[in-house]
Amino acid sequence: MNLTRRDFLKATSAAALAGPFLELGGEVGAAETIEPKRVAIVATIWTYLSHAQHMGDRLLVGYPFEGKWHRPNLKVVSLYVDQKPEGDQSDDRAKEFGFKVYPSITEAIRCGGDELAVDAVVIIGEHGNYPRNEKGQKLYPRYEFFREVVDVFEKSGRSVPVFNDKHLSYSWRKAKEMVETSKRLKFPFLAGSSLPVTWRLHPLELPLECEIEEALMIGVGSSDAMDYHALEAMQCMIERRKGGETGVKAVQMIEGDAVWKAGAEGRWSHPLLEAALSRCDTLYGESQHPLDLANNGDLPKLVEKPSAYFIEFRDGLRATLLMLNGAIGDYPFAARVKGMDEVQSMQFFLPQTPNVNYSACLMHKVVEMIESGKAPYPVERTQLASAVLDRCLDSKVNGHRRLETPELDIRYRAPRESQFCNT
Amino acid sequence: MPRPKIAAIVTEHRPNSHGQHLVDRFLWGYSWQGRHHHPPMDLVSIYVDQFGEGDLAVDRAKRFPTMKIYPTIVDALTLGTGKLAVDGVVVIGEHGRYPRNEKGQMLWPRYEFFMQVVEVFQKSGRSVPVFNDKHLSWNWDWAVEMVDISKEMNFPLMAGSSLPVNRRMPPVEISRDAEVEEIIGIAPGGVDGYDIHCLEAMQCMVERRKGGETGVVALQALRNDAVFEAMAKGSWAAGGWDPELFEACLCRSQTLEPAREGFNHILPRPEQIPGMLSEDAIAYRYEYADGTRATMLLMEGLIHDFTFAARLKGEKEPLSLLLFIDGKNPRNFFSPQLNAFEQMVLSGKAPFPIERTLLTTGLTAAGVESLWLGQKRIETPHLVIRYQPTKESTFWRS
Repeated sequence: MNLTRRDFLKATSAAALAGPFLELGGEVGAAETIEPKRVAIVATIWTYLSHAQHMGDRLLVGYPFEGKWHRPNLKVVSLYVDQKPEGDQSDDRAKEFGFKVYPSITEAIRCGGDELAVDAVVIIGEHGNYPRNEKGQKLYPRYEFFREVVDVFEKSGRSVPVFNDKHLSYSWRKAKEMVETSKRLKFPFLAGSSLPVTWRLHPLELPLECEIEEALMIGVGSSDAMDYHALEAMQCMIERRKGGETGVKAVQMIEGDAVWKAGAEGRWSHPLLEAALSRCDTLYGESQHPLDLANNGDLPKLVEKPSAYFIEFRDGLRATLLMLNGAIGDYPFAARVKGMDEVQSMQFFLPQTPNVNYSACLMHKVVEMIESGKAPYPVERTQLASAVLDRCLDSKVNGHRRLETPELDIRYRAPRESQFCNT
Repeated sequence: MPRPKIAAIVTEHRPNSHGQHLVDRFLWGYSWQGRHHHPPMDLVSIYVDQFGEGDLAVDRAKRFPTMKIYPTIVDALTLGTGKLAVDGVVVIGEHGRYPRNEKGQMLWPRYEFFMQVVEVFQKSGRSVPVFNDKHLSWNWDWAVEMVDISKEMNFPLMAGSSLPVNRRMPPVEISRDAEVEEIIGIAPGGVDGYDIHCLEAMQCMVERRKGGETGVVALQALRNDAVFEAMAKGSWAAGGWDPELFEACLCRSQTLEPAREGFNHILPRPEQIPGMLSEDAIAYRYEYADGTRATMLLMEGLIHDFTFAARLKGEKEPLSLLLFIDGKNPRNFFSPQLNAFEQMVLSGKAPFPIERTLLTTGLTAAGVESLWLGQKRIETPHLVIRYQPTKESTFWRS
């Protein structure tokens, strides 16, 4: 049973009102018996609208969930920020919400003591000033943060649930090690994008064990921030296919006019493009009227630098991510499923700034993990998306060649229950 | 069967006007259920009441020679043949420069357009389906007359806001056996523009309660301080509303203005709300004949979307949702409305009861009247309008 602090306060308030101690009111918190879980946040930076801020704040001030302002029974007790750029809010938050900013990750999760002193660790390694490599990957120190966290686990002989925001690492090797470490130390490990758990327009979920014939995802934004989101969004849909996820055999990334040529040759499906584009709520360009973008010939004119990520799965499924900057502003998905006449399609909905409600959907999953001690969906999804992206970017810098990927032998099963926000 | 011919009667066709969004969907088609859909009918004529700067109708007529601009409504409906020559009429009396009356109501010529349309019907001895965008008229008596004429002449009449037919988060309806004790709708905007949208959003939800719609017996509108005082009362009985329903609405919003600088999403305390508003706070408190109580709130500056919450008898938690309107080009929220019109033309049946919009038209007028009379509670025996909702849901869900 998930008894939140709020439910508890309500219950105790009612009891207090019913009893003879009404005049003592206001101290119901003192009677609280369910200790809040202690959480450490390990972040690159905490400035307004950084991931650490809009996700971390949800643990401080609550967030909307199922039509209520949900205040999880958690207490953020410590914070580490790697950089304090202009606009840093970490000290203000610490002062207001009664926690401490520590100078190292180790101290943060030990709360200044000698032992692990928290019940969960939330790693948010997104935003901040970090170098990029030749593949265009921003070298966020998520792996390094994770290593320091698990070092404390090992030394303390005890592990607690960990959440890692976004991809595990820019490197498939590091991502693999992170997942293996979590298995070895037996702690629940949740990671990834908010797209798999955000609202969907419309709320499509493919039936578990369906036979997917082909899948197409469209994304927008920069690499390696937004193509990652799109890859993981696609993965959460197709992992439900018959036999579960079996891993990826080969990848290829192409750019520019080659993308349109590949479409004309049938390497990605035009009907799936048409379906995906029909799910978009944001079309760019001069026109104020609706457009049949898939068929009116405008797409090559609108898209500044198209790219296509081809993914060949070990079980034969072919999936494509198209990044179409300049044409649309959404993240739609389409798939052809055996036995279904119509192409299945929908949009992963990204609620607008500043509320960015998708992060409430994601943080609720983190809270679920901390409260239940179980990750609500497999971290292998994020591992695979991280690794596919890394290898696609290898293809990009290696003459856009197709690369065999025996190392992407990542197998897992999708959760039975849908995990996206729909209630 | 030949493709139906459609006439559009619009106040204007300028960028981002309702006229532009609906007319352009006939011409270019629109996204619908996973594909680009072209209506199975032709928009052959358009009457534009005001051309003016930024007009796009002339451009559209050039690009699509199948659609001709006619100088009068009669011509647009008869296509120069002397009698009704179209199979459906879209009347869009929204946007454009029209006077306001002393109560602040914009005098959109919807009734005047409608009367010219039905005159052609009368003279031709034939009627076709009509869609009237938004509320029927600013004038209650005229709205009643419009509905009466549609019944007398036996043509399907569809009207109202696009909110009832749009997407919802979550995609829920009130169950047909649910007893509804209290409802709240919150919207941005001002009186006589966005109140109708919010009232329609609330009505399309609440009309499905047990027994169907029974109509409204009284309404009181409040402005600013009176709204904030009501908010502090803590219950309908005390003169306010159920704060849990209010909170549920704020929790369904995806555009909740942050109450504190430096926070992107934080629940405002009630005392913070007055300072967050950029226009007058407005409340319409109204009572249904079967006892259901309603509060429509306009709180521009607090939120920028439309939310609804209901207290259902016997349920611990309120039912709540966002009635979602996408905000960017090409304004897809017009698509389900046009699609409903197409269904009406093809089937000869209105997709949902016109009584819904008659009631919300009356509530809008009553709200304006109550404010005009100094926020006086007014009895509304004329709004005891009974009707049953459609059996099936009619919102966009696929």
